[in-house]
Amino acid sequence: MLVQVDNLGLSIGKVPILKGVRLTMDKGEIYGLLGPNGAGKSTTLSVLTGLRRADSGTVRVLGLDPATQARELRRSIGVLAEDSGFYGWMSAAAYLRFMANLYGIEPSPETLAQQFALVGLEGAEGKAIANFSRGMKQRLGLARALLNDPQLLILDEPTNGLDPRGRRDIHDLLIRLSVEREVGILLCTHLLDDVDRLCTRVGIIGEGSTLIEGNIAELLGTRPGAGLYRLRLGRRIEGMVDSLPQGVKLLAQEGDWVHLYLPSSLISSEVWRTLLDAGWDIVEIHGESGGLEALYLELTEKEGVA
Amino acid sequence: MKRALFLLAFAAFLVTSGAVDAASGLSIALVPDKSNPTAPEMGNWLKFNSIIKNTGDTPLAGLVVWISLVQVDSGHEQPVDLEDWSAHKALVIPNLNPGQAIGADWAMRLIQAGDYRVVLSATERHAATLYVSPFADFHVRRKPTVESGRILPVAVGMPLLLAGFAAWRMRRGR
Amino acid sequence: MNPILLIARKESGEVLGSGRGLGWLTLLAAVLSVLSLLLVSDTELSLLDNAQVVYIVMGTITALGGLLAVVLGSDAWAGERERGSLIPLLLTPVEITDIVLGKMGAQGIAWGSAYLVALPYLWAVGSSGQNLAQAVLYLGLFGTPLVLGFGFYALGLSVRLGSVRAALLASLTTLLLAASPLLLGPSLRQSAVGKIFDAVNPFSAVLNTFDSVVVDSQPFTLQLGRLAVVVAWLVVAAWFGRASARSVKL
Repeated sequence: MLVQVDNLGLSIGKVPILKGVRLTMDKGEIYGLLGPNGAGKSTTLSVLTGLRRADSGTVRVLGLDPATQARELRRSIGVLAEDSGFYGWMSAAAYLRFMANLYGIEPSPETLAQQFALVGLEGAEGKAIANFSRGMKQRLGLARALLNDPQLLILDEPTNGLDPRGRRDIHDLLIRLSVEREVGILLCTHLLDDVDRLCTRVGIIGEGSTLIEGNIAELLGTRPGAGLYRLRLGRRIEGMVDSLPQGVKLLAQEGDWVHLYLPSSLISSEVWRTLLDAGWDIVEIHGESGGLEALYLELTEKEGVA
Repeated sequence: MKRALFLLAFAAFLVTSGAVDAASGLSIALVPDKSNPTAPEMGNWLKFNSIIKNTGDTPLAGLVVWISLVQVDSGHEQPVDLEDWSAHKALVIPNLNPGQAIGADWAMRLIQAGDYRVVLSATERHAATLYVSPFADFHVRRKPTVESGRILPVAVGMPLLLAGFAAWRMRRGR
Repeated sequence: MNPILLIARKESGEVLGSGRGLGWLTLLAAVLSVLSLLLVSDTELSLLDNAQVVYIVMGTITALGGLLAVVLGSDAWAGERERGSLIPLLLTPVEITDIVLGKMGAQGIAWGSAYLVALPYLWAVGSSGQNLAQAVLYLGLFGTPLVLGFGFYALGLSVRLGSVRAALLASLTTLLLAASPLLLGPSLRQSAVGKIFDAVNPFSAVLNTFDSVVVDSQPFTLQLGRLAVVVAWLVVAAWFGRASARSVKL
């Protein structure tokens, strides 16, 4: 297990902030941490990174205790905190080089260029960070988090400030990292679309405790309408119904849109792979009501935490 | 004739010894030290030698001798505060027996240019008189202390240099 | 590379390479220029006056250095935190105390820069007077521990108070308190309280040393007691800064 958190408790002063958070994720997984504002997401992340000490519960990250082995842990994780700042007077390249040096890494110009290309900042190396847009800073932050080739990436609102194209690029990058390098990615976000598209596991926190946690497909499979999806196709193909995997039902077609039902026994990503192999030109995929958003709203309303 | 000769000898004694007897038995001699520069300027040190002698028949107790400095430039006559000129401003002699003499040196640093007069004064616990030494006059030559030719380039140049450097850095950063 | 040196180098780059840092140095030069230009009109100064001028310039440099130190120190921790750049730094495998020590190193660079900016002014006002070499030496020997002490003190406050404004207010108040005997004048400093305060106040120790050496031409041996006061201030302030870093709560 890459991350194991059980019954995490933490108070700041006399105020209990975390009251029983649990979280497990393995390498290669993309885990979505959801919750309303003030639920304890960022506090949980600060415990995982060793910035705060838990009062109770167990926390293991990469097999290490963040409270006592923070330095060792930070050599193997990359973190993008929400609204993290930079040194505006520095150039982007100088900044990355400085941060790399703190990890004991002396990056060559070629390595730095690759990092910039990876996050879509080619040509911006020599620019002063003060002249960066918000989206560019977000990409720079991601580049910083990837400097030490981490085993675990902890990202707090990583697509903040990015336009739809930028968000898609970051999504693709994260998927590649998890699939090709088996990097575990802990994604803290309020954007359900991001979680829907990227994550295999999700945890929903409310008022300092975990309301629900587990594999998304399993969680949604237990809910009414859980397997409803809406797909936009680039072009119609002949014999669509015949190419559907067993159990998948075509509910409706509206212009470019098709409505499908997937039983909870099937993993959605595998279904999409099958359809793509069958020649489906899938442009967009949306979960229908009864999906993650409904689950989130229902849980957070029930607990009175919305 | 004898009286004239006596008076002449006494006057000669007064002139050569540099001492003045006050009303009751104390003489203070004050002469510049032989090692003093002949044309002193600002920053030099001057030393004055003095001998305080009880020339009376009774012991003197609680004798205080102090040095005074006066500027005598025409139009600028004023007493000078010795605060920064000299650390040795007074001498206290608890007892001076008849015939006893004490020597003392008085050093001072020449702080300002001009014409000056230094004198020693003394008084003792039961006396109603003030004893004074002869004057010692000296001139202090001016030494230029502020080079305006140096200040202007620095005062104007340094901020400009730094502001220029700052502007260059800002432009480079873009 | 040693993380302390890395951080000191980065911080120094901000002082010497950013608009803010260079602006401060330019302001320091401007103040010294105004002071120096006031002297140009009066060439009839006595030797004492010239020594006093050198003393005033030294005192001004030291006071401005102290001001720069508390501004930089107050911003060093809380300012980075407010700008959001502290968390990424803390998330690297670098000890908090190393971060603080790196920032302390940058304080030294800042004072060194201010000292170098001040040297041409000292030369300009003091080259034809007395004790210029002593002025340059004693400004470095006594000014450095005083200014660095204020920098470390402000940095410690920055960590503990978590706010640039609060740290700046507290450290400026301390600086003004330390400088207050000079505003009171010599007669008020002759009281029992005044004498005690003068004896333990590092600012008084430094300025009294400048006066003794440059104006009164006293030797170094007579300044040892005051040097001990200033060095003690530096040690206590550095300990406070480091202890504050160890106690940091985020």
